[in-house]
Amino acid sequence: MSAHPTLASVVRSEWIKFRSVRSTIMGVAITFVLTIGIGALITASIRTHWTSHPEAHLGFDPVTTSLGGTLFAQFAVGVIGALFVTSEYSSGSIRATLAATPRRVEVATAKLVVLVVSLLLVSEVAVLVTFLMGQAIYSGVVPTASLSNPTVLRAVLFGGLYLTLLGVVGMALGWLLRQSAACISVFTSLILVLPIVTFLLPSSWQNAIGRFEPSTLGQSMESVSPPAHAFGAGGALVVLTLYAVVLMVAAATVLTRRDA
Amino acid sequence: MIAIEHLTKRYRKTVAVDDLDLVIQPGVVTGFLGPNGSGKSTTMRVIMGLDRPTRGRATVNGRPYHDLRDPLREVGALLEAKAVNPGRSARNHLRALAASNKIPFSRVDEVLEFVGLASVATKRVGDFSLGMGQRLGIAAALLGDPGVLLFDEPVNGLDPEGIRWIRDLFRSLAAEGRTVFVSSHLMSEMAVTADQIIVIGKGHLITQGSVGDLTAAAKGSVVVRGNDRERLERALRAAGATVEVANDEALRVGGLSAEAVGQLAFDHGVVLFELTPERASLEEVYMALTAGAVEYGSGAS
Repeated sequence: MSAHPTLASVVRSEWIKFRSVRSTIMGVAITFVLTIGIGALITASIRTHWTSHPEAHLGFDPVTTSLGGTLFAQFAVGVIGALFVTSEYSSGSIRATLAATPRRVEVATAKLVVLVVSLLLVSEVAVLVTFLMGQAIYSGVVPTASLSNPTVLRAVLFGGLYLTLLGVVGMALGWLLRQSAACISVFTSLILVLPIVTFLLPSSWQNAIGRFEPSTLGQSMESVSPPAHAFGAGGALVVLTLYAVVLMVAAATVLTRRDA
Repeated sequence: MIAIEHLTKRYRKTVAVDDLDLVIQPGVVTGFLGPNGSGKSTTMRVIMGLDRPTRGRATVNGRPYHDLRDPLREVGALLEAKAVNPGRSARNHLRALAASNKIPFSRVDEVLEFVGLASVATKRVGDFSLGMGQRLGIAAALLGDPGVLLFDEPVNGLDPEGIRWIRDLFRSLAAEGRTVFVSSHLMSEMAVTADQIIVIGKGHLITQGSVGDLTAAAKGSVVVRGNDRERLERALRAAGATVEVANDEALRVGGLSAEAVGQLAFDHGVVLFELTPERASLEEVYMALTAGAVEYGSGAS
């Protein structure tokens, strides 16, 4: 008889689940379309209006602007992460999953491994393609950036990390809330509503709180020179990773304590 | 073997299972009966390590479910029909389960063939009928060729041919020496499927025993009609029987055998026109046993 189940066999199981549903395929396709498509729209629009808007030339960042599509793709990756978990609860298959692997932390770890590896691949390819395409569109009219510059390379690669980490946040919310609709509402609120609420606060508070928001962290990570009052790219990566880790630890704790 | 010791499970204020003690033996089909909401599914979820007991414990082959090294090779369960992502194919669902326990994929095709789903193995489970969903659940339970099997309401949604098939399946699994634990809210189903029967109501054990034991324990009654009802009634009551007037001047006598009633009538000079022993059916026994434990009764029944 073959050996006992291991984490590797649980990862294999989760990989079969991840790739065998339409929602994953759709989610990945939408991530590509949003990142690359919106990147193309933004860069083409900037190229068209470049000469007529000289006031925009000051402090222009060819990297951040070309990666603008990630602002939309972040919802797609959040949904991919959340649905990977909530679909098990909505269908009831979580019971079969936990009966097959009663060590629940292994299930959470395996899902995390599958999600992170898949999203890392998808996001990095998406941001690299978008960046190169954006620079090609800018070329000749708008100043461009090159990946041979280490700061530019960092900004592009961190763009992929940003998307991956938001996928992990979506997954952790999935374990904590168990319902797709609840997850998507909370996720959207974190990204979209939080900045609006902060905007209504006094400016000293805005500066203190604003830099901790996921969307601000994303801006810091994807820019060559991070905005004022924000974390540097490395600091933002650390803070966002910390969020993802804390949420996943909370998720694993809840998973092991609650009835399935 | 499955053992349940002093199991209590409370969900906020409701007590689903209350101090339950059970042993489910291998080699026989054990029917687990009770009205809806009596705690059958909760008990099964606790056995499977899905719900944590408030008190007490459940073990499979002497160990709590969490400590099983190869869960799918030791225990197989059908807890819910069609509890599968509707977008996934039957084969991929089973392959994911198989992979987690290092069961070869060839076994997936074997069980699909066995339950009669081989021709729809690559179809989305969302398009399956309830009966096909049950068959897929049975395939999942059999995947690891386990010695202990649990089925929660397995006949729901099956057509008559499917019901016969599943009955034969339970019998053959038990004949191979496996532990087969099947829940149902229908006594009529269990009467023809199970060897041993456990009846619970409101989370308590009501009774357990073989199908034969249960019907034997059920007190039958004797319908008797004679030429002097009042004298007969007095004699019967004096002998300690319970007596009620049935139709047509007949008496329904409880607590005495037909022989004893006949002898009593003879001793008191009553001429009998009718002496009919009536045995309660298993269904009636079950209804009587669980009468106090039905959570959502229809009142008039």
